[in-house]
This record gives sequence, structure tokens and C-alpha cells, in this order.
Amino acid sequence: MSSKMLNGRSVVKGKVEAEALVTAEPLSFMGSVNPKTGYVIERGHELEGQCLKGRILVFPTAKGSTGGSYMLYDVVKNGVGPTGIINIEADPVVVIGAIVAKLPAVDQVDISQIKTGDRLVLDADAGTVEVVD
Amino acid sequence: MYLTDEEKQMLDGQAGELARQCMEILVTLGEINGAEKMLKIRSVHSPGVSYRVTGDAGLNYVVDASKLGTFRVPLTLNTIGIDADRWQQIGFPEEFSRKQLALLQAYAKMGAIPTCTCTPYLNGFAPLPGEHVAWGESSAIAYANSVLGARTNREGGPTALAAAVTGCVPAYGYHLAENRRADLCINVERNISSKRDFAVLGYYAGMTSGRRVPVFKGLPGCRSVENLKALSAAIATSGAVALFHIEGVTPDAVIGKADLKPKETVNFGETEYRQVTDKFNYQGDVDFVVIGCPHCSIGELQQLAALLEGKKVKADFWVCTSRMTKMLSDKMGFTEIIERAGARVVCDTCPVLCPTSSKGYKTILTNSAKLAHYAPGLWSVKTALIQTDQCISAALTGKWGGSK
Repeated sequence: MSSKMLNGRSVVKGKVEAEALVTAEPLSFMGSVNPKTGYVIERGHELEGQCLKGRILVFPTAKGSTGGSYMLYDVVKNGVGPTGIINIEADPVVVIGAIVAKLPAVDQVDISQIKTGDRLVLDADAGTVEVVD
Repeated sequence: MYLTDEEKQMLDGQAGELARQCMEILVTLGEINGAEKMLKIRSVHSPGVSYRVTGDAGLNYVVDASKLGTFRVPLTLNTIGIDADRWQQIGFPEEFSRKQLALLQAYAKMGAIPTCTCTPYLNGFAPLPGEHVAWGESSAIAYANSVLGARTNREGGPTALAAAVTGCVPAYGYHLAENRRADLCINVERNISSKRDFAVLGYYAGMTSGRRVPVFKGLPGCRSVENLKALSAAIATSGAVALFHIEGVTPDAVIGKADLKPKETVNFGETEYRQVTDKFNYQGDVDFVVIGCPHCSIGELQQLAALLEGKKVKADFWVCTSRMTKMLSDKMGFTEIIERAGARVVCDTCPVLCPTSSKGYKTILTNSAKLAHYAPGLWSVKTALIQTDQCISAALTGKWGGSK
């Protein structure tokens, strides 16, 4: 048993352990995600058809609509949202959504080291991500 | 970060609970981004005012805020989820509409200016070059930063609200000159003249740039307000671009001191053009045509009235605009001509932000890259991104046979 520790920068404090959902493509919460179901609906997106519920969402950065902040808050409040966020570069639209949704978030993480299905311990207080083997 | 006495008082709660909550959010955002201080802002354009975007979570957030205080800086409202005057006539669902109106009322209580448009800059709300503002609506942000030379980050709904309550934002990102230099040069090799051309170029530039700041070189053709509006919307859809420069045209490039000599260059020619248009290339029967994403200018309404005069459309046809522009259009007779042809002038909203119709549309034809991108996921439709006159001819015949 060996774990891998990745370092990043704390964005929104908090600690959570969950399964990773990873994409190499930028994501917009508005227009890419159905806030009632938590499923990704953007056509042709790598995550189309995947559900965010209960997972730590790992994506490089956000794109598109600034409606994404309330959309992220709403999807979390509806109980079908992610439990944490890991980015390469956090976009202000996601940052403010994560602050109001009280969602632990880190950025400046080498996300190529994480695969969908990996068990993660996200410690946003310390700014670290542990990939549990 | 450094705070003035007034800002400290807000953070301490001496200016009320709402100012305290808002300042706390802004300080958090500032600390994450290494801001040294706050900047006074002159205007706010708030995104996240469609109930489709806020859901109950966002609605309750704004209603709670409205019980505690008001805005101290002018705040205009972005596009909402219904036509506030004609929602029943157009057939927007009752429950959605009631919640949307409650959200509008909460904003009104705080002193918001109910512009309900993604194009406030077409209706007199246009910041000056170098002015610090807090704007949301991705297309309006790109336009304000790039075409007007104002300074804003990509603000989400809660930040816009906090900025209008406190009158400030943290000094980071596009507020600082060093972050406004070009990172990527896009060398335009193809003829670019129509609105669709600008939309296609913008969509490609957004895909290529991601979060970076591109500078366009060799951009020929008509650089009208409407074309730059189409470019701004597209570039902020496929990417998170908040600022672009056009050599010889935009304020940072002409009067500013932005460094426009990035190391990396990409070419935009016929191949790149096709890469975008191939993505949105539906052909066949047409049931819904939409012009006005972002909202139409009065000049665009005039053009549509001229194209539709004395004709009859077979497909459902929306022309989306702001309530201010619609008032002009009513006065000038364009609305009557457009609606006599069977199309509908819809204000305050658009298909990106209104509830999906129960009519079960299978297709949306549009000249907007933003709508062509979002509609497949939001409306479960196929889309075609085509020229304005092609949208009209497809609406008149009920069929679209494709184009180059």
C-alpha cells in the first residue's frame, strides 16, 4: 500500500475524502451541468453523461458563463453536486461558487497524476491531495 | 491584505451584517489571489439573475441579502429567464415565472437597475477606458475589458452582489496592467466580415486561448459594435477569455500600454474556420430560429425588419433583445413588421437562460456561436451556426440545406 501526495494551493478551506471524477477539458457549470440531477450535459464533453454527486471534481479550469457560480451553489444545495474541487488554475467564477457552497477547493495541482475512480483525500487547509492506493 | 478604515469597519460588522458578509467574501477572494488592497468600482453588471441559473439556492441567497441592505454602486441586471411583461403570452411556465419575478423583486429592493440584458453597453451602461468595474456575463466582460478598455475580472453572481454592496473588489487579475498583456497572437489569414465570421473566429480563439489573453492581428472586415459583440460572446463561450486585443483597434492596443508581442502565434485560416463550422452544421427540417444572442442592437432589428417585411416564416422564430431596445423598435415600427411576419420579438431573456420549451424542438438555427454551443446541452437540439440572411431564408422555407 502506497499513497501519492500532491501539493497545491488552498483556495477554499475544508477536508473531504471521496472518489475522483477527472477531465482534462475545461468545464462550465452553467450549460454543462444539470443542477437538478448533477449530470454533465454538454455535448461532446469528456464527462458527458457522468454524475458529479459525491465525487471530488478534478478539471483544469472553468470556461464560459459567469452563471456558473450560482449553478455550482445550486447543484451542491440540491445534494447532487461534487464534494470538493481540484483545478490547475481556479477561475473566479468557480472560486466564488465554492466559497458560498462551502466546498473545499485547491488549485495549482498536477491533475495528470489523478485518474477517475481514484480515492482522494483532499485537505484544502493544507493545500494537499492524497491519492490513496 | 491592506484595508482602509472604511473597509475594516465593513469587515467588522459596523456597517451592518450584509456589508460584513460581502466584505468577508471579497477579502477571501483577495487573499486567494494575492491582492494587496481593494479597488473602488464605478459599476456592477450582475450575472446569475435568471432563475434557471440561480435555482432555489441562488434565489434564497439574494432574497436573504435583500432583507439586510442595499447597493451603494449602480448595479445593472443581466438577462433573466422570462420576458417579464409577456411571459404568459409567450407561454413561460407559471411556477418558473413566479420565482423569476420574486428574484427580480429582491434585486429591485436592493436598488438594482432592471436592464435585464447581456448588452448593457448598448443601452448607455458603458464604462470608460481604465475604469475599474465588477461585471458578470461572460460576453459583456469580454466586451467591457476588450472593446471598451474597462477593467474587470470574470465576476460570478455572489461577487457582483458583494461588490455592489461594498463598492469595491480586490485588486488582482485584469484590474492590474501586468495581467493585460497579450499571451498569444492570432494571425487572421481568412476574410472575416459577417457576424457569423466574427462568431466563428471568436469560438476558435476561445478554444485556443483557454484563460489566456489573445491579440488579433490582420483582422480585416467590418469591426462594428455588432461584430465585436458576436466575437466577445463566442470567445467567452469556448474559453474563459475575459480580455482580447485587436491590433490597431481596441483601447489597450491603441492608447494603452499593453504588451502585444507574445511569443506564441497561431494562424486562423480556412481550416480553422471549418473546424468550428463543422461542429454546428445541422441540415434538414427547421423548427426554431433564434437571432439575438447577445441581445440585438436597434441596427440589427432594423436589418431583420427589412429582411422579413411582407414575408411569412414557417419555423418558430425569436428575435431577442433588451427592453430598452425593444421600446425603440416599437417606436420605429420594426417590432410590428417582424411580428407580422410571424416572428416574435422577445425581450429580457434568451434560449440560453429561459426554461426549455415544451414544444419539443429538435433544431435551433442561429448566427450566434454562444447559442449554437449551449443549446445542444440545454435544449437537446441540433444546431447550425449560419449567416443572418441564411437564418431568415431557412425560417421562411422551413428547411436548411447547408452552406459553406
